[in-house]
Amino acid sequence: MEMEKNSFSGGRRYRNNEITVYWKPDACVHASYCYRELIEVFDPGRRPWVDMNGATTERIIEVVNMCPTEALTWKWNDESKNREISADHTNHVIFRRPELLEETEPIGQVNPVSVKIMTDGPIIIKGDFTFSYSGNKKEMNHGIISLCRCGASNQMPFCDGTHRKIGFEDK
Amino acid sequence: MEENDNKNSTAIVEVIDNGPVKITGQIVLRDLKKDFTGTLTEVSLCRCGRSCNKPYCDDSHMN
Repeated sequence: MEMEKNSFSGGRRYRNNEITVYWKPDACVHASYCYRELIEVFDPGRRPWVDMNGATTERIIEVVNMCPTEALTWKWNDESKNREISADHTNHVIFRRPELLEETEPIGQVNPVSVKIMTDGPIIIKGDFTFSYSGNKKEMNHGIISLCRCGASNQMPFCDGTHRKIGFEDK
Repeated sequence: MEENDNKNSTAIVEVIDNGPVKITGQIVLRDLKKDFTGTLTEVSLCRCGRSCNKPYCDDSHMN
């Protein structure tokens, strides 16, 4: 069966004349950088939810690079430009600014866990830790979890994006 | 255990049933809305959305 033009295995893609943005919904932890930074392009309430005409390519790249998972990635439509990036120690599909990759410095001999309180959104926990919830116990190595903070998720204890629908706000 | 295993972490993230998430270990906490960054070794964070001291738990979930 022929794949839909704007689909790829695991997600959807959106193009302008310079870049293609890839969206993998299964990887999304609802960190919500994308729509908080650039609702003109990334609007979860709109279909399709990505509008590549909503901002400059430069700005779209900047916001895609903020995504803490691989839910949003991008590459140049011009393959030769992607090869230039790869030579710069980055993958052309999962290209991120290097300064965004390492978020925590070791404290003594231990790599700390990074706990991020997202604006009116979930708790994003990254790193090496033992994670326990409702009788489950998991060893997380370079793991990432996103925990509901609004109290309304349908996938407790994890965030499922409901905070946006109910208008959850930190006060 | 390797003596110089600096990847080793003793951090524990425990979701308390009907309560907060308790995190112990070496923690770097960032609150993006309050523009706060701090290092700490223990913290209980609100999961019910009702704390008056967000992101921290203030036992409001018990009410």
